[in-house]
Amino acid sequence: MAIHERSLVEPERILRKERLVIDGVDVSGDWNLIILPRTINDYDLSFYEEVVAQPEGKTIVNCYQCSYCTASCPVHNYWDERYNPRHFIYLARLGLIDELQKRADVMWRCVSCHKCTHRCPKGVLVEEVLKAILRVMAKRGLIEEYPSKKFDKFFMDVVYEYGRIEDGELLFGWIEKQGYKVVKDPVLKKPIPFMGGVPEWLKQLAVKPIKNLNIDFLLLNAKHMLFHPRTKNWNRFKQVLRKVMEEEGVFTH
Amino acid sequence: MAIALHLRKPPMGGIGKRVAYYPGCSLEGAARAYDVSTRIVAKELGLELDYLEDYNCCGAMETKNVTFWGTMLLNARNMSLARRQGHSVIVAPCNGCSFSLQRAEYFLETDKKVFERVNELLKEGGVDPLDEIPHTYHILEWFYHEAGPEKVKERTKKPLKGLKVANYYGCLYTRPHYYARTYSHTGGQDEEARPRKRETADDDEHPYYMEALLEAAGATNVEFEPMHTQCCGGPHSLSDEQVSEKFVMMILQTAKRNGADIIATECPLCHASLEMYRHRLMMKGVPDVDVPAAYFTQLLGIAFGYSAGDVKLKDNLSDPIPVLKRLGLV
Repeated sequence: MAIHERSLVEPERILRKERLVIDGVDVSGDWNLIILPRTINDYDLSFYEEVVAQPEGKTIVNCYQCSYCTASCPVHNYWDERYNPRHFIYLARLGLIDELQKRADVMWRCVSCHKCTHRCPKGVLVEEVLKAILRVMAKRGLIEEYPSKKFDKFFMDVVYEYGRIEDGELLFGWIEKQGYKVVKDPVLKKPIPFMGGVPEWLKQLAVKPIKNLNIDFLLLNAKHMLFHPRTKNWNRFKQVLRKVMEEEGVFTH
Repeated sequence: MAIALHLRKPPMGGIGKRVAYYPGCSLEGAARAYDVSTRIVAKELGLELDYLEDYNCCGAMETKNVTFWGTMLLNARNMSLARRQGHSVIVAPCNGCSFSLQRAEYFLETDKKVFERVNELLKEGGVDPLDEIPHTYHILEWFYHEAGPEKVKERTKKPLKGLKVANYYGCLYTRPHYYARTYSHTGGQDEEARPRKRETADDDEHPYYMEALLEAAGATNVEFEPMHTQCCGGPHSLSDEQVSEKFVMMILQTAKRNGADIIATECPLCHASLEMYRHRLMMKGVPDVDVPAAYFTQLLGIAFGYSAGDVKLKDNLSDPIPVLKRLGLV
């Protein structure tokens, strides 16, 4: 039996009575709270096997549900207590995929701070395991496209294309993907940072180096935006990257 | 069935005065100030950085969520470049880069299949296969161990007198210990297979190397636990704005309320995240978030007698110059 934090019980399953008489015995007071049993319709052990089969997921077998990871997790502690790494591992092991699916809206929130992995006394690479669980969920269509996955893909595309990333492109490319209107110059199709419908904070930050007359910084970044930094001889290596990604079924470039 | 962790024993003894320097993409773009000031500090401390020619992105915290093998390859390529330049030690100034390289190190060490396959793929991609796996260190660890506070004190020409600093280490400098080798496991049966702390590694939960170096340069450190290793939002800085904003708010407010004039950082991503959300929080009128941020190497550079222009203080969007001017440091 796993540890059951109160937050894991759905409110509609908690029954509280002011007065309760069972078989003629008045049990009002301490014994007035009842948790209704839940019905598990189905479980799927192949889910767990799929997680274990991944290189990052295999340490899930070591977990003994001590909850050290959840106690350390900043997302659990400061953001949403429904984000509960221990519980996700528990559900994945039992193959309760519809329970996992219910938590799909918070499961992607991991900020990869690795407190969980660091403190795990059993050598479970918790962060990696959670990402492996997410990946299996995505593969099975149990979770919709979530923001960080979009960003990860976008990042991977830039790395795949050039071998290196460039901050300006990453920032404005992402802003554009968010639906903001980014003005581009007509010739080179590069974004103009302080124009158009970009968020106000970004405009103000982009203007700062100009206000400060930080000319060499501006020139450097302009150069990088025009001529994206590249790794030499990248094309041959790119083919290998493409090959392994196609094998994993994640190549979408 | 438990998975045994067959990590090799961490290297004992020093790191070496001349190492392969993996700056990472960010340091050649928006975080130029960190690169410039790092080189200044290394020069002053008598250490030599050998620039890793033609490196590629380490994949940061993002590509590993997309592809396992791709991320292994990206990092193995950089390791191979370091070997080609004759190094068995790589130093990275970015938490994300050092994490990625150490993560690759972990999987290459513990899983023979990964090592063999990666080597085959490297050959296919036209890169030399790995004859040995180089160790990766964060640059702060290197500065502390190869130079140390005494050397910093000796080099300091203009002590950072009166400057109250909150030292922000971020997540991945000491975490997770399986990769960063900052903690020795006790218990378990196989003495040989246990993860061990590297001799030069910082304390895992209470890191102090940056504090020690800045104190030697004359600064005063303010109490900053537990926010010194609290996440800034990291890889979700752009994709999950609500959580990142809350985390940065906690970090900045703790620094301010503990009396800090400035936050010293050691990772370009943390730095960018702090500066970006600082501006956004200030626009919203949130109290106590106006502490500026500077790289610890910039502060050391100033203590060594360099000017604000030399360490590119103007690049910092949070504008630390007024604070330093008030104390007569720039």
